Amino acid sequence: MSTSLLDDLLSDHLDKGYAEAAARRAERRANGDEPADAPRWGRPLLALGLLLAGFLLAAAYRATATQAPESERIRQALMRDVQQGSATSATLQRQAADLSARLVRERDNALTTSETGDRVGRQVRQLEAAAALVPVRGPGLTILLGDAAPRDQVDPASGDRIAVPPDDNGRLQDRDLQSVVNALWAAGAEAVSINGQRLAPTTTIRAAGEAILVDLFPLSSPYTIAAIGNPDTLLPRFADSAAARRYQSLVGVYGIRFGVHRSTDVQLRAATGTELRYAQPLGGTAPAPAPASEPSDGNTGGEPRPGASPPVPSGGSRPPGGGS
Amino acid sequence: MIAALAMVVGVVLGLVLEPTVPLWLQPYLPIAVVAALDAVFGGVRARLDGIFDSKVFVVSFVSNVVVAALVVFLGDKLGVGGQLSTGVVVVLGIRIFGNAAAIRRHLFRA
Repeated sequence: MSTSLLDDLLSDHLDKGYAEAAARRAERRANGDEPADAPRWGRPLLALGLLLAGFLLAAAYRATATQAPESERIRQALMRDVQQGSATSATLQRQAADLSARLVRERDNALTTSETGDRVGRQVRQLEAAAALVPVRGPGLTILLGDAAPRDQVDPASGDRIAVPPDDNGRLQDRDLQSVVNALWAAGAEAVSINGQRLAPTTTIRAAGEAILVDLFPLSSPYTIAAIGNPDTLLPRFADSAAARRYQSLVGVYGIRFGVHRSTDVQLRAATGTELRYAQPLGGTAPAPAPASEPSDGNTGGEPRPGASPPVPSGGSRPPGGGS
Repeated sequence: MIAALAMVVGVVLGLVLEPTVPLWLQPYLPIAVVAALDAVFGGVRARLDGIFDSKVFVVSFVSNVVVAALVVFLGDKLGVGGQLSTGVVVVLGIRIFGNAAAIRRHLFRA
């Protein structure tokens, strides 16, 4: 006990209780007492103790053995859930697009029955095109914007060629897309989409971690920004904008990809998830005769083909043409 | 002999019964295992030294496990659970190695 704690730890590995018990036994034997009591209940006690020790070892083994696969299982289940969820969302989105295309068709049918309906219908189509609620097509620009290409490097350890992802300077951020899109709007674009995601007036372009979200849909590089507008004015105005000049110079500095092309036919989908939450239309614009003819057209649900919707957008492209 | 048999039975029981360790107990399980191993190695060495005593063994086993778990529990409450776990493992590990070396000397005279 007089030695230091560390000395004790490093030299005395055996529990002191054993030595003391042995000394007691020897003392008792020297006094003539019988040390016979130890074997009588000592054996079952020892067996019980070792039983406990074995049980503990096995329980610990089982706990660790079942724990590892469990976390893996949970990860798999979560991944499955995510995949299922995104598949469901894709189906629902398709369904919503089909239904809204049908709605537009039915409404147009209903509105063409009268003179005022015709006028209101045209107005509605114009407003819808401006609000990105209908697919549109027309001439315009296609802008390709991409992260710097991964560098090809030789792995010093294995000698294999590996692709090194670009560093932060070569990666596009949400504000890059924002400034390009804003430059397009400023240059007179009438409809814009990024990677097929149509930009509505309320659409946001944000960053979440390393992903860029356009209306909560994650997009990844390269980004194709399609814009509809008069190419003869859109192209020079955009090319002259500060954003275009900046990205043109960044191509040489950081290796990002940036290209502007004139397109004769750009097709843009309708924006999803645009709903008015607070604004309410003033009454009086809704034509009364519309509900009367609706049921008769309601049974034309036999053609929910997505291919049937393009005729509608081609009509919707007139407003952009008239606007420029 | 009976001791080895009891330990085997314990292991088999543990594997067959599939005891589910409650979640709050799971952090202390590794420490308890190390403490149990320390007691077992100590017992074997005492046996080879000829001073084995089953009462000392059982008491040291149970108290080792309980005290080790308690220390770690206390450490968790104080926010130094990881460090205390390391301390317990180091101390018990040194003892296990020392006892294992003594057993080796007894068995192989080397």
